[in-house]
Amino acid sequence: MGFLAPWFLAGAVAVGLPIYVHLLRQHESPKMPFSSLMFFERHVQSSIKYRRLRYLLLFALRTALFLLLVLAFADPFVKSKAGAVGTGRKLVVVAIDNSFSMRAEDHLGRAKREAGSLLATWTPESQGLVLAFGSSVQLMTQPVTDVAALRGAVQAITQGDSRSSFAELARGLRAVAQASQLPLEIHLFSDMQKSSAPISFADWQLPANAQFVVHPATTASEPNWAVESVSAPRRVQDPKKARVQATIAGFGAPAAERRASLVVNGQVRESKTVAVPLNGRATVEFPTLEVPYGLARCEVRIDSADKLKGDDQFYFSVDRSDPRKVLLVHESRNQRASTYFRAAMEAAPEAAFQVEAFGAEQTANVKPSKYAAVVVSDVASLPPPFLEALTAYVRGGGGLMIAVGPSAALRPRVPVFDEAIGEARHMAQGGQRFLVASAVDAGHAALQRVNKFENVRFYQTVRIDPGSARVLARLDDLTPLLLEKKIGEGRVLVFASTFDNISNDFPLHAAFVPFVEQSASYLAGQGARPPAYPVDSYFELRTAKEQGIAVEALDPDGARALSLAEAATASSLQLNRQGYYSIRAASGRQELAAVNADRRESDLEVLPAETTALWQNTGQGPLTAVQGGEAAPFRLWWYVILGAILVAAVETWIGSRYLEGKAGAS
Amino acid sequence: MLQRFLDPSVLAGISGLELVAKTVVDGFVSGLHRSPDYGFSQEFAEYRAYSEGDDLRHIDWNVYARTERAYLKRYRGETNTLVTMLLDASASMGFGSRGVKKIDYARYLCASISYLAIQQQRDGAGVLIFDDEIRQFIRPTTRQGQLARLLHALESAEPRARTDFAKPFIHFQSFLRRRGIVVVVSDFYEKPEAVIHTVEPLRFRGSELLLFHVLDPQELSPKFDRPILLEDMETGDSLDVSPVYAATEYSAKIEAHIGTLREKAKAAGIDYFLLNTSRPLDEALREYLSLRQGRM
Repeated sequence: MGFLAPWFLAGAVAVGLPIYVHLLRQHESPKMPFSSLMFFERHVQSSIKYRRLRYLLLFALRTALFLLLVLAFADPFVKSKAGAVGTGRKLVVVAIDNSFSMRAEDHLGRAKREAGSLLATWTPESQGLVLAFGSSVQLMTQPVTDVAALRGAVQAITQGDSRSSFAELARGLRAVAQASQLPLEIHLFSDMQKSSAPISFADWQLPANAQFVVHPATTASEPNWAVESVSAPRRVQDPKKARVQATIAGFGAPAAERRASLVVNGQVRESKTVAVPLNGRATVEFPTLEVPYGLARCEVRIDSADKLKGDDQFYFSVDRSDPRKVLLVHESRNQRASTYFRAAMEAAPEAAFQVEAFGAEQTANVKPSKYAAVVVSDVASLPPPFLEALTAYVRGGGGLMIAVGPSAALRPRVPVFDEAIGEARHMAQGGQRFLVASAVDAGHAALQRVNKFENVRFYQTVRIDPGSARVLARLDDLTPLLLEKKIGEGRVLVFASTFDNISNDFPLHAAFVPFVEQSASYLAGQGARPPAYPVDSYFELRTAKEQGIAVEALDPDGARALSLAEAATASSLQLNRQGYYSIRAASGRQELAAVNADRRESDLEVLPAETTALWQNTGQGPLTAVQGGEAAPFRLWWYVILGAILVAAVETWIGSRYLEGKAGAS
Repeated sequence: MLQRFLDPSVLAGISGLELVAKTVVDGFVSGLHRSPDYGFSQEFAEYRAYSEGDDLRHIDWNVYARTERAYLKRYRGETNTLVTMLLDASASMGFGSRGVKKIDYARYLCASISYLAIQQQRDGAGVLIFDDEIRQFIRPTTRQGQLARLLHALESAEPRARTDFAKPFIHFQSFLRRRGIVVVVSDFYEKPEAVIHTVEPLRFRGSELLLFHVLDPQELSPKFDRPILLEDMETGDSLDVSPVYAATEYSAKIEAHIGTLREKAKAAGIDYFLLNTSRPLDEALREYLSLRQGRM
């Protein structure tokens, strides 16, 4: 027998109350004055005996009542064999780390073997559960008693490339404990990376009443070198202009020289030796990127000779193509904007566009759909066919940028953009010489690398009503300078000035080239795809317009990454393996996603033993589970309460009889 | 009808001892209807020739009308009877279980005797109120206003202190100049031997002694249905008493005490009469006088 809430037994001190009332407190007989006690003797034995006979019964009942109430609150239980099936046992959780770092020296294989050894000592009555964890927890089984199922689940765990997270593991274990309502005996098989520990200790909290046993795959930190990152263009038009920059990092490693190689489609293009300092980083740069047309599987590889081979290369993909055309429409009499815009586009380091300029009156037969993006530079009017084609082009997903200068301000509304044009202002007329950009959304794709935009002087501006458009930049008088509106599937940027060095001096500033390049890339839909993805990131398979169109994705092993149903409906694909994913998106375009493991996994420093001990202690002490085969608790509080009610009824009856006698006597 | 007013608890509701005494005595007298002899000195003795100084109220004017000589009508006791009441006003007399305390009952008794003696018998009456000391003493006399003085003294007699017969009675013997009737009204919580030993000398000096033993019914046969803590009204001592003891041993003891007192009094030639305060006073007086008549 035991108590589920034994601290309530402290309430037994309440028994002192009836003891005090009945035994300790001096009993007060009713006092009555009498003429003389001459004929009375101290013959008290009989009267006390007479009194106590009645009081002792009340005392016993009241004491019993208090004790029963205390007992009921303490929630007594007895072990009953009848209730033991599947309820009174602990749940043994085998948690195996299958993160990227477990690739080192076959740590995962060792962990699985040790887990198998643990299961060899399995008692048939125990319940067990196997889970694998990396950045998330994957339950391999439900709680079962079948050791064969548990062994199978352990063997079924495969190597992952995720980053391990002890916080996720702790959260999963808390969920398991809450769902099973059983004490846990947790066996963790992991390389116990320090980098897997969460920042907040609260995230480590193990479930209450859990015994936590750590089976480390390794006890000492191992030196490791890795290609930490690669900076390379996603699209290459001119291989001679494309540069690749890689960072080689040493984790817990001594200073050493590493040979880094640039590999394109499995062929080493170039190799360089780089000196990596102690626990430091070094950068290696490959000035050219000779890749064939189309998608190329590229990587930077080092000869690290360490135990973790998976991080010795960094994958990235490159798409080589001819420059895409950008249509620039301008006033025929004003060639300045065309000149500056074209020059900026050609000056871009990763020039991916070729500008074709037309006068506004020449565009009647021009088809915008042939161009990656269209730029309309301060045009007073456009031929209606072209305007109609341009509107359709934008609605179909095309990108358009409109510069609104003094000429365009003659129109009441911005074409396609369809917002009202206000007054055109010359700063000199107002006594103020120029305006500058003040509020700039530097996070926008068109403005990310546009530095020192605030140095540009704007002499003439046109006030445009933003309407439903998003304002990306404003002048210091809060006039919208750059606006964006999504129309249909396309995007329209409106620049409330010109590119001609008259209304402003923007073309003369360093910010002009990246602005032009990024705006064109943004409008052309480029730049959305990075050259490399981290593991567990998502790849967008389709837009909202492309619902119902099947996509196809092959994982790094060449297997289908999506089921048929997912191929028809999934809007994104989780990239959970390191390597190349070959994807045919809903648009029909072939994509190549290079995926790399989180480089925090490359740091093989082991969690300090003290920290591990602290983590174990969050399970609140030793396991108090009812061992397998023993009886489950059968709670008795209900019976105790019934007994208390019965005793209370008897006490009330006897007490009332006593009170009646007392009232009659008085 | 009148009997209803003679219940002690009813008498307690009547203000003024004189009225109480009159009520009692009138009831008592009406109960003795056609009895030619009544009173404590009821025996007719003789006619005596008037001499200077005699109370004119005692002249028998019928005889004077026939003989033209003044004669005084004299009863046997009238010649030398003085009634002195010794009232125990100790604290124990303050006990009463049914509305009437023993001291009240004793006061009614003394008032009734006084009224009977002075108004009906033309005797002298006096009172001595005592506890362990003599608290008040009014000499027995027939002077006018004596009844009022007696009643006033009785009315102011409140129970207090302890009972001590020896000291007051020794003093009283020094006050007693003439023979007479001495009425002792008390609850006699003293050993019977001591009581008789104390009051017996009065008898030796020629006085007639009457002991009225006033007791409450709860004292005679106490009834407790539970253990009770009794507190002595004189000493302040307390005692836990069980109902069983009160019903058995105590009752036997009080009966033995009463019996012993009665026996000792009888042996000493002293009248003893037990007064239960639950009894109507006139009825008790009538019974006593009937017994007295029979004895004479």
